[in-house]
Amino acid sequence: MNYTSLVYAVLSMGGMGLFFSILITLANKKLHVEEDPRIELISDLLPGANCGSCGYAGCANFAENLAGAKSQLSDCPVCGAEAAEKIAQILGVDVETGERKVAIVMCQGGDGVVKKKADYDGIQSCIGATFVSGGERACNYGCIGYGDCVTVCPFDAIHMNDKGIPVVDRVQCTGCGNCVEACPRNVIELHPISHHVFVLCRNEDSGKNSRAVCSAACIGCKICEKAVDGVGFTVENNLAIVDHDKYTKELVLPTEKCPTKCIIIVGEADEA
Amino acid sequence: MAKKITLSREFLKGLWDENPVLRMLLGLCPALAVTNSGINGLSMGLAVIFTLVMSSAIISLARNIIPKEVRIPTFIIVIATFVTIADKMLAAYFPDISKALGPFVPLIVVNCIILGRQEAFASKNSVGRAVIDALGMSIGFTITLTILGSLRELFGVGTIFAVQIMPDSFEPLMVMVLQPGAFLTLGLMIGIGNWLNARRAK
Amino acid sequence: MVNIFIIFLSAVIVNNYVLVNFLGICPFIGVSKKISPAVSMGMATTFVMTLTSAVSWLINKYILEGLNLQFLQTVSFILVIASLVQLVEMFVKKISKPLYDALGIFLPLITTNCAILGVALFLVLKEYNFIESIIFGFSAGVGFTLAIVIMAGIREELELADVPEYFKGAAITMIVAGCLALAFMGFSGLI
Repeated sequence: MNYTSLVYAVLSMGGMGLFFSILITLANKKLHVEEDPRIELISDLLPGANCGSCGYAGCANFAENLAGAKSQLSDCPVCGAEAAEKIAQILGVDVETGERKVAIVMCQGGDGVVKKKADYDGIQSCIGATFVSGGERACNYGCIGYGDCVTVCPFDAIHMNDKGIPVVDRVQCTGCGNCVEACPRNVIELHPISHHVFVLCRNEDSGKNSRAVCSAACIGCKICEKAVDGVGFTVENNLAIVDHDKYTKELVLPTEKCPTKCIIIVGEADEA
Repeated sequence: MAKKITLSREFLKGLWDENPVLRMLLGLCPALAVTNSGINGLSMGLAVIFTLVMSSAIISLARNIIPKEVRIPTFIIVIATFVTIADKMLAAYFPDISKALGPFVPLIVVNCIILGRQEAFASKNSVGRAVIDALGMSIGFTITLTILGSLRELFGVGTIFAVQIMPDSFEPLMVMVLQPGAFLTLGLMIGIGNWLNARRAK
Repeated sequence: MVNIFIIFLSAVIVNNYVLVNFLGICPFIGVSKKISPAVSMGMATTFVMTLTSAVSWLINKYILEGLNLQFLQTVSFILVIASLVQLVEMFVKKISKPLYDALGIFLPLITTNCAILGVALFLVLKEYNFIESIIFGFSAGVGFTLAIVIMAGIREELELADVPEYFKGAAITMIVAGCLALAFMGFSGLI
């Protein structure tokens, strides 16, 4: 039995191990950087195998994207059920306001409401339609209607209604943001659940032109702005915008006064 | 608390539901590189079985004494040790196969399947469960690789495990035993696996 | 000098590190969904490969061969790679946050990855000298970057194509990789 080999092996491996551990410990002390504490908590719970199956560069990157609501936990095939529960707990709450965020589709221009400009017979996908002048609907700002948002939702919280407009289930929605990213027209927004008044239109064309393409469009008439004396509703670029910080439940709601009925109120648990 | 899965389920999940290559897409490098014939695929699989089972056993035994901060380096060192043993044993007793597998035997140490199972399972479960899980996963891996290797060998050369299957009139598709054949066959297998799984679910 | 040119051409085109040598398949499939992270991954990998090829060669020559401990190659290389990547990550994170955001996040993924260990093992197998090893490490990185960026470009287009239901994702990527490998086979015999 070659004892010298054994001794050398132990010494050299032990030596290298010691050398690198000291180097790394020193470097850690000298090169420390502050970051979002949630990321480390989530990182610790993830498997740490850095296998890349999630499509991200390692578990730390995945944790960062989870914390930034840009990826979903089911992307990781190696994660155990216990860890998944704990991570979901860490992620469930919005850090700034401490309340849940849900998605809302800012458009009512479905079939029969918006005018049709063409017959579209191409790839049945919103992002595909954007390459071919935006599909069938005449409005260039609104929902295209092929459901990329529905496909991408991991929680089954968004569905097409019979008019071809996606509707968010505010109970199921976790605010992960996948639908927001999937929409090529940026028609979907994330709002804290306490926000309850929305102008469901994105059309910035003049009143005449927006009315010409859709009967539920915001025509920029400023009736809402006048009804609340400019506190909470402002009209910019022919489109009414709600200022959620200024707008409170005590103010008069101009929903009845809106001529095209594009302003709506949502309750805690019902749909838009 | 995770629900108590029976031991047989623990073993069977590695064969299909969580098949490392076809469903979890781990360990693709060896799956492509050494499956140019059935025997090579089988040998790689056997080496992985040895490494995974032994590493899972040791790490599961030591799971309460390994500090959390250094668990990944510790796992890697344990796995590397067994890989070296497997590599040297192959080189000594089966030199032809060792040559055919080449540098992919040492590369088992960075095979995502092994590190993944240690992290997700062996370090958190008893030795018995860890070994059953390791066996299931590695046997699933071996079966997949053997099938992949045999398919490539069959269409690329006409033999399975060096036994002539195809008739003499068969023109072998050389591309199957080369690199493109590996990618294509694996892609088709993954697709068929998805289809079979969807049918099972119905 | 000619030898160095041959090593470079070989690892990048003729025996492309990913498509011919089958190394680095996991990140090749995993990080090639969009072009921008693919480029970053490629650059990070090239950097780490060059560095580790140098250190691995030194350790192999002076410790392992010097003390007749070749059987410790696997263990010592992986130790070196893991430590180096950890150090580089800490360093980049501290020195430049923008650079870290671009490249640094891929570094842990590279550690448990056959691409880097493959470089170390190959340069022992082919018995390169110090300069040749570094060139090989760099070229392997370039070859990897080439393959992953091409794949990312194709996959971005593939998003809009009508892929059969059960082949979406990994299966079609593999088949595309097969076509790429077929194309690269045309380069054999170049040198």
